[in-house]
Amino acid sequence: MIFEVFARKSRGEPLRHIGNLNAPDPELARVYAFNTYDEERWFDMWVVAREHLQEVFTVDRGEPVAAE
Amino acid sequence: MTTNAKSAETAKGAKGAQSAKDGVAAEVRDLILALADSKRLLGYRYAEWMLGAPELETGIALSSMAQDEWGHARLLYALLKDVEDVDALEHGRKPMEYRNVAVLDEPTGSWADTVALMALVDVALSVQFDALRSSSYEPLRQRVEKLLEEERFHAAHGAAWFRRLATGTDASRAAMRQAAERVMEPVLQWFGRDEGVGGALAEDGVVNGAPSSLRKRFLERVSPLLEAVGLRDAYGDESPDFAGFDEGRRRTGGGGPDASTIERIRGDRNRAFLMD
Repeated sequence: MIFEVFARKSRGEPLRHIGNLNAPDPELARVYAFNTYDEERWFDMWVVAREHLQEVFTVDRGEPVAAE
Repeated sequence: MTTNAKSAETAKGAKGAQSAKDGVAAEVRDLILALADSKRLLGYRYAEWMLGAPELETGIALSSMAQDEWGHARLLYALLKDVEDVDALEHGRKPMEYRNVAVLDEPTGSWADTVALMALVDVALSVQFDALRSSSYEPLRQRVEKLLEEERFHAAHGAAWFRRLATGTDASRAAMRQAAERVMEPVLQWFGRDEGVGGALAEDGVVNGAPSSLRKRFLERVSPLLEAVGLRDAYGDESPDFAGFDEGRRRTGGGGPDASTIERIRGDRNRAFLMD
């Protein structure tokens, strides 16, 4: 399962996408994210399974997706 | 018995003028070495799986954990710098002088064995460190918080893999159970005897519990994992078998790290490159 990793440098800053990783479950994803991306000083760090990300729209794929 | 905090203060004030006996009480030195040697060996065992672990990410995690453990070992050995030759401690000792948890003597044979080191052995060390949060021996107490913060992720990594193997196939569950059984007895012994050095450390306020109490805390902490492999009731309140127990080395049955391990952790082959 692929997880996307987000973090920010300080409180109030927008979350920034910093990479992704492979993990079998969210528990290991959190451990792997910490061990892989802890080189810098982050204020916080988050992981989310890629399959849980919902696309709103992508400009070059045509019209924005309108709410049903 | 000397008061360790007081004697440590004296050591600070009169650097170099202290014998080992005066500077750091013998039982505190025993404790520091038991922790430092276990950390050094554990770090080496983690490093052995940086390549060849089931996933790239778990290898990365193990390399990070190995760094943590060696860092912890380093700072623990350094606590003895005023009273002992730390270089000799790190690079000059024979196998029978090491005080590591006995299961760290040889490389782990399987991935499940490595998971047992993370989920059980490393956690046992953390239980011992946790019992030093209010230690009368200040140099150790000061270093505990940061160390335990790093250990949180070691425990999470170990527990996640333990559960994964325990709930995977029949074969992975059997392997995890066997690996847990391999480490439990030596780990429970490593906490020591209430009537021995461990009990003295508790009496002096160095450790905030006697060995039997630390064993209980450890078993409480890992009971969900033991339950996952059907071992919850295998280890009760009664003490492990202490026949032939060596107080200083915290083990029964003698033995020590194997020759190749000693050569690697002492850095024997690299000594020739030291230019100082």
